[in-house]
Amino acid sequence: MTRAQRSLYIWLGLAAVLIAFPLLAPVLPLQPTIGMDIPHRFAGPSAANWLGNDEYGRDVLSRIIWGARASLAVAFGSAFCAAVIGTILGLLGGYFRGITEVLAVRSTEIVICLPPLLLAMLVITILGAGVLTLTVALTILFVPNYTRVVYAATLQTGGLDFVKAQEAMGTHPLKILARTVLPNIVPPLLVQFSLTVASGILLESGLSFLGLGVVPPAPSWGLMIRAARAAMDQQPLLLLWPSLALAGTVLLLNVICDRLQDVLSPKTAARGGAAWLRRQIKRTPDAPAPEVPLLKIEDLSVGVALEQGSMGLTKGIAFEVKPGETMALVGESGSGKTLTGLAMTGLLPNALSVTGGHAWFRTEAGVVDLAALTEEEFGPLRGNDISMVFQDAAAALNPVHRIGDQLAEIIQCHRPMPKQQAEAEVVELLRKVGIPDPERRIRAYPFELSGGQRQRAMIAMAVANAPKLLIADEPTTALDPTIQAQILRLFAKLKEDNPGMGVIFVTHNLAVVKEIATHVSVMYAGQVVEQGTVEEVFADPRHPYTKALLASVPESDAERLESIPGTVPQPGAMPEGCRFAPRCGHAAAACAAPQPLLDTGEGRTTRCLRWADLWKDVA
Amino acid sequence: MSPVIEALELTRNFPSRSGWVGAKRDVWALRGINLSISRGETVGVVGESGCGKSTLGNILLGLDSPTGGGVRFEGKYLHDFKGAHRRQMRKRMQLVFQDPFGSLDPRRSVGAQIADGLRNHDVVPAAEIPAEVARLLTLVGLAPSVAPRRPSQFSGGQRQRIAIARALAPRPDFIVADEPVSALDVSIQAQIVNLLADLREELDLAMLFISHDLHVVRHLCTRVVVMYLGRIVEEGPAEQIFTAPRHPYTQALLAATPSLKRPAGETGKVLDGELPSPANPPSGCAFRTRCALATGDCASAVPPLETVGPERRTACFHADLTAGQGGLQ
Ligand SMILES: Nc1ncnc2c1ncn2[C@@H]1O[C@H](COP(=O)(O)OP(=O)(O)OP(=O)(O)O)[C@@H](O)[C@H]1O
Ligand code: SF4
Ligand code: SF4
Ligand SMILES: [Mg+2]
Repeated sequence: MTRAQRSLYIWLGLAAVLIAFPLLAPVLPLQPTIGMDIPHRFAGPSAANWLGNDEYGRDVLSRIIWGARASLAVAFGSAFCAAVIGTILGLLGGYFRGITEVLAVRSTEIVICLPPLLLAMLVITILGAGVLTLTVALTILFVPNYTRVVYAATLQTGGLDFVKAQEAMGTHPLKILARTVLPNIVPPLLVQFSLTVASGILLESGLSFLGLGVVPPAPSWGLMIRAARAAMDQQPLLLLWPSLALAGTVLLLNVICDRLQDVLSPKTAARGGAAWLRRQIKRTPDAPAPEVPLLKIEDLSVGVALEQGSMGLTKGIAFEVKPGETMALVGESGSGKTLTGLAMTGLLPNALSVTGGHAWFRTEAGVVDLAALTEEEFGPLRGNDISMVFQDAAAALNPVHRIGDQLAEIIQCHRPMPKQQAEAEVVELLRKVGIPDPERRIRAYPFELSGGQRQRAMIAMAVANAPKLLIADEPTTALDPTIQAQILRLFAKLKEDNPGMGVIFVTHNLAVVKEIATHVSVMYAGQVVEQGTVEEVFADPRHPYTKALLASVPESDAERLESIPGTVPQPGAMPEGCRFAPRCGHAAAACAAPQPLLDTGEGRTTRCLRWADLWKDVA
Repeated sequence: MSPVIEALELTRNFPSRSGWVGAKRDVWALRGINLSISRGETVGVVGESGCGKSTLGNILLGLDSPTGGGVRFEGKYLHDFKGAHRRQMRKRMQLVFQDPFGSLDPRRSVGAQIADGLRNHDVVPAAEIPAEVARLLTLVGLAPSVAPRRPSQFSGGQRQRIAIARALAPRPDFIVADEPVSALDVSIQAQIVNLLADLREELDLAMLFISHDLHVVRHLCTRVVVMYLGRIVEEGPAEQIFTAPRHPYTQALLAATPSLKRPAGETGKVLDGELPSPANPPSGCAFRTRCALATGDCASAVPPLETVGPERRTACFHADLTAGQGGLQ
């Protein structure tokens, strides 16, 4: 049993115990709920009457328990019936669209336009007061809420690939709805359910008060709250008990729905915990700063905080970037390329942190360790000395601010200057990154630009303050081939304009590396496995992984592509020794020990101890 | 050989309106597409995003209806099939998606999802379903024991294999693979490309392979169509398209594709400008706003797709000037 399931069962158990009281009310030794006992009006709690007596001297405890029968029956009954009807209408309307949509969804919206009380009165005048009528009235009231929630969720889910796959397979539409769509819209449905039950209990109290629901002297929580309000100055406790019962029920229901969602969720989410609960560890540099020309990363590791301690994601990342060089990070997805870039800018997601190593970076004020800086210390560096370009420009730009304002802000943040001057610089920048008609485009919002132009705008933002180090994470992956070529040319031009700038370029496309970079670090399973100049590494790879990677590019004339068998090991299940060993055709006994990064001369390194043997064979 | 599937003058408009009160104008996703695919053939479709590649795939599968023209499957028009007959038809044509994470239902085991296709069409008797699921999993290179697992327990490449197994379950004759390898790593891509090539041989499938990775298309496909703003601008045998492109757009596309074989420091010829909006395409040849060869004629009429060699067709008024240029390294 998982943690989530255990938690759910505990809460369900508690709920079952509580439900047992009203269910067993007829057999419990409770005092009568109806007979009056005027001498004990407003008496406080006593041994005989644990919660005291009400305005007619009736026992409050037994009225609460008996009252729960009416209140909960109305609330759960109506919430459940409405859920069934609303879900069916919403599913049909959202999936079939057209006329079904009009009939199922739009018609229920008429109900929303009617005042709830009026509607309830209408139903009750027709059917007569009582618990059953009240349930019917509330069901009608609640149906549109469910319909709308389910309709929206169905529209969204219906567009997903796995639903389309079912259609392509010729599955009957009703089967698709029941088997594929419904389970995937359960989460919003559960939220809606807990909301309607709560509002059902409250509405029951209002309607009962008007004489339209439970008929006094029969008890219900709503009636009790109303009565207690009138007698608040004489006995405030009378208000407390039914309110507690009401609040407790709603709370319990919310918790149960919440846990149920956890259990039903297909992935058991890694719990990072709230950011502010985690300790902000400030790592103190344990080594004196070496002299570095621009950036030198030594043995950098990043880990994720889990319930049972920390799990390493990258380990022993090491490379150097000199002014004017472009270092490409290549490797399979999940190999740690993005994390390395984020660690340089102090933008690691909350659950992640640097767990070891250094990233020495030269600033005007001397060499600092990027891996040990606090958030405040990063402030003046980010966007100024170091900046970053992301893959998804649409997500990285603020959609509600004009492009020009966002650029001006980043300039003025690091170099205070009057507004006009900043604006002139922005126009110049946009021209430099190749956005046509920049004077007019500074007024544009991100959504008004095409994908390629948005990417240009984000690059403009990154180079606004002439950074010393530019980190670009797959900046062309989401673009079309002809636009990708334009952006690559832009990077080349920016480097020409600013010859001292070092660039870290993250990509998984080897041909792009060849086009843009001077140096390359090949990453595998969170480690750098080989590095050197692009020319040398591509011409003469010294790690079996690099060799296999180059061979799997579909550019040869071979009939079949070389493919690396197996898959990348997952973090937490990394092999003890060489991480590539399970997929490596040259693995030997010695490979079972952890591999250090070996110097192979000419400024190149490899993390394969057999490289010399293997390449002698080849030669 | 008679084609498995044919598109005849396919046109698809998506009505759209610019702003709340703006003029209503149609987005032309497809215009006058003619295409046919035979058994054992893999036709690659390349072009920039939004040029109508996926729309073409969806219409061929009957998942979307054309505004004009029709699709014939083994000589019979798809729109003549309705309701249950239509669903029966669907088992013969399947789809493999781009996103290996979105195309599998996260809440059901992969075995159950593969079995859906078997059950819907009674491909095998109910008792033999587990054995058939195991056979399909083996066919795509996975252990049969993974059937009870949920999709979240698989890597991207493994999911793509599962999605392919699911597509193969109803024993289709025609498969549309919509960017099936773009979301995968290079080393995993190679596994899937090899798998598709093997399946094509073994099962004698007709396949439409949509991709923007020209190297993969060149490797896998027998024939290629190049699309620009909803029209086919060039068509021909894969090797010829990549070594001797004739349409200026194809040439630009090949030049823009980075290659390991290109000498260091040499960047390809970069095409300027953006893709025009499909809601407001240029008059005449849609490519003329970015074409170096454009002349007055190009604005006044749409160039027809004309034969320029054996099995080669291209839509350019000045195709005589383009011979012998460009090509993928
Ligand atoms: N917020 C997070 N919580 C837990 N693990 C994470 C988180 N972010 C990343 N990881 C894990 O860290 C490892 C490295 O991730 P990273 O994003 O750096 O890979 P990448 O090389 O950039 O891959 P891609 O090519 O897919 O972008 C992966 O195993 C990933 O699952
Ligand atoms: S160390 Fe051994 S297992 Fe690792 S890459 Fe080298 S030969 Fe292969
Ligand atoms: S028809 Fe004219 S504009 Fe179109 S591709 Fe040919 S030369 Fe260029
Ligand atoms: Mg990444």
